[in-house]
Amino acid sequence: MKCCVVTPEATVVDKDARFVVAPLYDGEYGVAENHAPVVGRLGAGELRMTLLDGTIERWYVEGGFLEVLDNNVSLLTNRAVRLETLDVATSREALARAQAITSNSDESAEVKEAAVLLARAQLRAAQKGALVKK
Amino acid sequence: MAKAKALDKRRKSIKNIRKITRTMELVSTAQFRRAMERAVAAASYSKRLAQLVSDLARAGLKTEHPLLAERETKRRAALFILTANRGMCGGYNSSILRSGLARLDELRREYDEVELYVSGKRGLSYLRYRKFDITRSFTQFDHKPSYDEVLEVANEALNRYRTGELDRVDVAFCEFITLSKQRATTTTLLPLSSLTTDSEDEARAAIEYEFLPSPASILEEVVPNAFRVQLFKCFLDAAVSEQIARMMAMKAATDNADQMISSLTTTYNRARQSQITNEIIEVISGASALQ
Repeated sequence: MKCCVVTPEATVVDKDARFVVAPLYDGEYGVAENHAPVVGRLGAGELRMTLLDGTIERWYVEGGFLEVLDNNVSLLTNRAVRLETLDVATSREALARAQAITSNSDESAEVKEAAVLLARAQLRAAQKGALVKK
Repeated sequence: MAKAKALDKRRKSIKNIRKITRTMELVSTAQFRRAMERAVAAASYSKRLAQLVSDLARAGLKTEHPLLAERETKRRAALFILTANRGMCGGYNSSILRSGLARLDELRREYDEVELYVSGKRGLSYLRYRKFDITRSFTQFDHKPSYDEVLEVANEALNRYRTGELDRVDVAFCEFITLSKQRATTTTLLPLSSLTTDSEDEARAAIEYEFLPSPASILEEVVPNAFRVQLFKCFLDAAVSEQIARMMAMKAATDNADQMISSLTTTYNRARQSQITNEIIEVISGASALQ
């Protein structure tokens, strides 16, 4: 099963995998061999790929889409970085910045909520990345 | 002697200039290749996005979204002008500024307030000199604009558009069409006119996708991404076009220098010859006067 992660800058990952777990908008979504065609909306969080030799590769992806078709799993995402490279301190700062947004109307409250959710997800991923590194 | 010496000096200085222009040409050729690769990578992303849109359309979804709808209110607009950080690229910067300022005039007539976002030192110095009010300036987008940086700008514009602070976002940049054709244009990015950057829609067999959670929710995610990618594409196009413009300008400059060197060499040789002839005549006439 092929798994590729595409950002507007580059194709970040193009590998064969046995099992892929992608962070959808409401939780994790696992894809094994011969999965039915799916288009899903991604949230922010950890992408896990079990490669053919059994090693697990972890990435942090931020929004976008998951597409499964003919044993091809492709993720279109804004950002994809190695989970281990995320920094907990900078993620905390990002969360603080998101929480500092003033919300004085429905629209700006929505904007704030989205920013806070995103920052929380990044912080969680960074913490997990730090754990994995140990 | 004086004339030949002056000619030689000039020829040397032109040779030095030629070295510089030739190097600049080579550097921009290398940078152009790298910029082009990035543009191709971005194109593959937007192509997949376009595919997704057509899949959604096939699922019977009407593409309706607040970002796609024309606004009634006309209070505040934003105009991005993407110029280069460096000169030596022919008419690249001035043509962008010309088309950008024309759009600025149009916007000012329609909207109460127009914010000006300028990228590139060249555009900044020109607009500052002309005493334009610049809302924000960027100089970090050089020949290699990164998506993260563009994302920041895009998200800010997007959020302000959503909350109604902005009613329109325009971009003036140099569009890359083919290797031999680039054009300074202005386009409207918000409200989005279309979800895809290019109209080519590959015919694909209809696939029965399961949409998670729903086509409408996926569209909700597609539209802002389409905007971000289109803005990113503007930056990439600008980078590619800048390198091409510099390549052409420097190639022309090098060719010009070559021509000047050869014509100066001819004049120098003639001057040297006539000088020698003069000296010989002097010697001979001096010798014959002694006889």
